[in-house]
Amino acid sequence: MQIRFAGIGGQGVVLAGVILGEAAAIEGLNVVQTQDYSSASRGGHSIADVIISKEPIYDVIVTEADVLVALAQLGYDTVKNSLKEDGLLIIETDLVKPERPYIGAPFTRLAEETTGLALTVNMVALGYLVAKTGLVRRESVEEAIKRRVPKGTEEVNLKAFRAGYEEGSK
Amino acid sequence: MRYPFPTGKNDFIQGNEAIARAAILAGCRFYAGYPITPASEIFEAMALYMPLVDGVSIQMEDEIGSIAAIIGASWAGAKAMTATSGPGFSLMQENLGYAVMTETPIVVVNMMRGGPSTGQPTLPAQGDIMQSIWGTHGDHMLIVLSPSTVQEAFDFTIRAFNLAEKYRTPVVLLGDAEIAHMRERVYIPHPDDVEVINRKLPESEEEHKLPFGDPHGDGIPPMPIFGRGYRTYVTGLTHDEIGHPKTVEAEIHERLIKRIYGKILGHREDIISYEEFELEDADVAIVSTGIVSRSAIRAVKMLREKGVKAGLLKLHTVWPFDFDMIEELAERVRKIYVPEMNLGQLYHLVKEGADGKAEVELIPKIGGEVHTPMEIAEKVVG
Repeated sequence: MQIRFAGIGGQGVVLAGVILGEAAAIEGLNVVQTQDYSSASRGGHSIADVIISKEPIYDVIVTEADVLVALAQLGYDTVKNSLKEDGLLIIETDLVKPERPYIGAPFTRLAEETTGLALTVNMVALGYLVAKTGLVRRESVEEAIKRRVPKGTEEVNLKAFRAGYEEGSK
Repeated sequence: MRYPFPTGKNDFIQGNEAIARAAILAGCRFYAGYPITPASEIFEAMALYMPLVDGVSIQMEDEIGSIAAIIGASWAGAKAMTATSGPGFSLMQENLGYAVMTETPIVVVNMMRGGPSTGQPTLPAQGDIMQSIWGTHGDHMLIVLSPSTVQEAFDFTIRAFNLAEKYRTPVVLLGDAEIAHMRERVYIPHPDDVEVINRKLPESEEEHKLPFGDPHGDGIPPMPIFGRGYRTYVTGLTHDEIGHPKTVEAEIHERLIKRIYGKILGHREDIISYEEFELEDADVAIVSTGIVSRSAIRAVKMLREKGVKAGLLKLHTVWPFDFDMIEELAERVRKIYVPEMNLGQLYHLVKEGADGKAEVELIPKIGGEVHTPMEIAEKVVG
């Protein structure tokens, strides 16, 4: 299963990928996580790839994404061709205007409403993804969030994740 | 000994982090470095961990100072490492030769990025294969290892330290930007389960007095520790067994350099490691090293599904090179393909090994993306 997150620097795209990967590792699955970003710390494209499998994984980057989570137009435009024809496109509906079928929600607005912090958009999107796909268990992701986010921000990130999960369960 | 990271269990970490942890488990207690993408996380991890294991991590003024510092630390008895990428590795070449000549065990990590010059800082490449072997001047011999997974980055780092200590030589760990930043599930063993080799120390007065001698007949002199025992002269100039400069005597130079070659080439079977996939009945072979090996394994699977009898020779040790093994391979297969992330380096070694017994074709790729399995498979199908 190949999952790709695409956005711009500052949206926490790589952290979302890392947490999904860690959740898969917690479940004993094989997982590879890589990233591609421009040298700008904010504003350039930012891509995180996660490949999850019960078999050994030899790929290093997503070649044919089963799922693409797009949080910004620039990120989407950079990698949209890597999504399989029958792949699942999940978007930040305020920020991405795709020319193909999609599902999604205004993740940034949801983040602001839930935590007061737009930068938790990554956790909202991750929650939505997990609810929609069942790639990994919700509990595994929550454990991964606790391990990976900066100390003291666990609760706010979990809150954002749960808001996204709820949105995705609707 | 308490370790500042979990042992005896799986973790989900980057290649750079794996290298740092492995170094510590192998006994590394001195790290000197200068930050550079894509190797900086090794330094970050070492800066965090070293004080917790009674080690030292120091930022030097540049990469020349970094390798100089670890050479000094090694002579003071510590296992020492530095890590860098292309531009820094170029700066280290002079002292890499000094480490060869003074037979100093050190581990130099080079996480390759696109070059030449500052090139593509964030993107992987394999353009430093030849440099890692022949980058420093003069006749010299050292060991180069290249991992293709985060687990291998971990395992080969431990091996790099063990080989450096065993053969009293610098060892280059040749990774790349992809391995550096890729996260994978990796098993961090319990310290009791890690094989750790330590350098031979001088045991007799005679051995103390001859830090560049060959008392055991294996070409590897026991290495004294600065401050313990006799005064030791360490120089990059051609020297005798005591260590005193002898710069015009042909036989002394020849004996020294041939011993340095011999201690490594004479133990090739111990040093060279590789893995074979589906090679037994192969009609065409792929030879690869480092990150590209992952795509090569997939390519072999794809080709086998299509009925093409393809196999892979995945090199873990890049240098010394087993030319004889390649010749034997060339006698068994119709053609050998060499995919690599440069415009032809490993290819030349393979071609020399094949010695005309089979056609050898390069599958080059530059720009910052690893070959896809399909790219390799398509080339093989033609």
